[in-house]
Amino acid sequence: MLSNKQLETVSEAPQIKKSSGKRLLLVGNPNSGKSTLFNALTGLNQRIGNFPGVTVEKKTGQLKLGQEKLEVVDLPGTYSLVPRSEDEKVTYEYLIDQNRNDKEEIVVIIADASSLKRNLLLVTQMIDLEYPTILVLNMMDIVERNKQKIDIAGLERELGVPVIPMNARLGKGVSKLKTRIETFDYIPAPKVIERHEEKNQLKNTVDRFKRIKEILAKTYHADGPAKTAESTRKIDKIFTHSVWGFVIFLFILFLIFQAIFSWSTYPMDWIENGFLVFGNWLGGALPEGILNDLLVEGVLAGLGGIVIFIPQIALLFMFIAILEDTGYLARVSYLTDTVLKRFGLNGRSIIPLLGGAACAVPAIMSARTISNKKERLLTIFVTPLISCSARIPVYTLLIALVIPAEKQLLGFNLQGIVMMALYLLGFVAALGTAMLLKYWVKTEERSHFIMELPIYRMPRWKNVGMTIYNKVKVFLFEAGKIIIAVSIVLWVLSSYGPGNKMEAIEQKYEQIEQDPSQELSLTQDQIASEKLEASYAGHIGKFIEPAIRPLGFDWKIGISIITSFAAREVFVGTMATLYSVGDEENTTSIKEKMARATHPSTGEKVYTKATGYSLLIFYAFALQCMATVAIVVKETGGWKWPILQLVYMGALAYFASLLVFQVFS
Amino acid sequence: MNLASCKIGDQVTLEKILDEQLTVQLYSMGCIIGERITLERVAPFGEPMIIRVEDSFISLRKNDAENMIVKQ
Repeated sequence: MLSNKQLETVSEAPQIKKSSGKRLLLVGNPNSGKSTLFNALTGLNQRIGNFPGVTVEKKTGQLKLGQEKLEVVDLPGTYSLVPRSEDEKVTYEYLIDQNRNDKEEIVVIIADASSLKRNLLLVTQMIDLEYPTILVLNMMDIVERNKQKIDIAGLERELGVPVIPMNARLGKGVSKLKTRIETFDYIPAPKVIERHEEKNQLKNTVDRFKRIKEILAKTYHADGPAKTAESTRKIDKIFTHSVWGFVIFLFILFLIFQAIFSWSTYPMDWIENGFLVFGNWLGGALPEGILNDLLVEGVLAGLGGIVIFIPQIALLFMFIAILEDTGYLARVSYLTDTVLKRFGLNGRSIIPLLGGAACAVPAIMSARTISNKKERLLTIFVTPLISCSARIPVYTLLIALVIPAEKQLLGFNLQGIVMMALYLLGFVAALGTAMLLKYWVKTEERSHFIMELPIYRMPRWKNVGMTIYNKVKVFLFEAGKIIIAVSIVLWVLSSYGPGNKMEAIEQKYEQIEQDPSQELSLTQDQIASEKLEASYAGHIGKFIEPAIRPLGFDWKIGISIITSFAAREVFVGTMATLYSVGDEENTTSIKEKMARATHPSTGEKVYTKATGYSLLIFYAFALQCMATVAIVVKETGGWKWPILQLVYMGALAYFASLLVFQVFS
Repeated sequence: MNLASCKIGDQVTLEKILDEQLTVQLYSMGCIIGERITLERVAPFGEPMIIRVEDSFISLRKNDAENMIVKQ
């Protein structure tokens, strides 16, 4: 029976029967298992906007139910509809947006059943917003382990919405949810509380918890404190220990570092060889001509330079996903808050800073969880200084080029030490920059570090796998697009030149070839390099050479710096293309080609230690990433900060490289 | 008495929160007036600290703990 008051609610309910299909909105507290459910519902039919224009949080996917295809939107986790930070605002604004009425919508709220009271706050808010709602009680396995008892039918009765118990990890309850969605018919639920005016949000929350307590008194029973909370307490005694906590954190960082730079060498070798073999086969199989050259020397060389780094990038994202999924990352925030506070940052900044080692773009977005505007701005500003995965290709190539593999320092492999030093350098530069900005940016806002430390759980391997898959896909396709485009343009620019200089060189060497006293292999290289110099690319490189000469860079490096403004990893592709043009045989790797490179005037090696170190420093500091610039524009709401960042990091790179080159040469 | 002056292991009841922004944040995480709070851990240099509210663990800084009035 409906009371008078409830009938009122019915007449107020928005009429949202729309013809163009259904949309599911996934809403829930952080750490409630929302992404696991999203993955279970959509499988590989997901689309994550990781690049400018789309936010990383708005994951959308498709759910097929019989004949019907439903759109599923995964909204950022939030505790309440009173937003307290930027990412919670995304959810709030999305939900209250009245313009979005093209589809019939069902809100699926996922709640951590093992801490039901807190999770029900959001549920009651959603019900009072009069959204057609289904409540999913996730983590029923923990509820069982904790000897907590929930009366599902009672909860349905009290709240007036369907309630579905679930263990999303094992996929238990997912099919039941699907059936419920299929047969869903919206019956407006009674209001949980009489809401007060906007400014009385706190009073509302108090009222809600009062009502929630009443509901739970009837439907929930617990035998003492939760077991999982007890074991988490025990683990935290070690992991957040004043001494051991830091030791463990450093050990984990070391392990990640080891994995990325030693385990990944095997698959990387296979990929490199694979590309060489494929390139040779393709070169032989296709008829000779421009198309052949363009494909083999341009596109394939550029692409091979990037595919090879997938093992490292996948590993990095895997570790970050595991750390986040187990709940450990929140402890790292706890441990580092005091230190980061001194630099004008926040414990929450460690997540963007660590994530920055993978990619600055999602890392900068994750800074949204920092509610203090100044701390958020500082975090965004310094995150690109952390060496990201796009620098890995550049570092690996250059280090291998200028430091012999067998060289050691104090018993450690020198290549490894230099790599580690570059990462440290990025981290120190980030902290130093934050320190400078701290005194410059003013704020009245108070700083907080209020964060939930979720209970420890085993990583959900499916989620980890999905994260790796999505990130690698984005990297490969987004970066790949730029790289293919840049490779093609570059190949054209370096194969053709103004006037008839190129033809003149060919004619000159044709005459020399007639002369039997000349050594042929030497001439081949010479023709190639002279032609490159006469090409359009050569002219561009030559034009900027005076500016970068003091850093020890020649015009070929100049071309690479220009092309890698789009994305750093283009450096390797550019080098590959520049040094492949004219290499008919395609037998040697880029590294070998670069190692052979000499200054034509002096005959000295181009990649000396001084030039190598200088170039490494340049790539460590310079902001050569269009995607980062674009995301900073979006996140800071203007061009001021990205331009400052670009100029600051550019100047830092230039002068640091200048210093390094002068010291080592 | 405020939460910052408690010792590790102390169990107290939250009586009042002196800062409005802090109130909003704590409330949304289920930490409301009348709730029992246990001070679990304090990091080196006196902050941040971890409190336990029912079965949730929440970290906060010293100045926030100072704004939380509690009684034994």
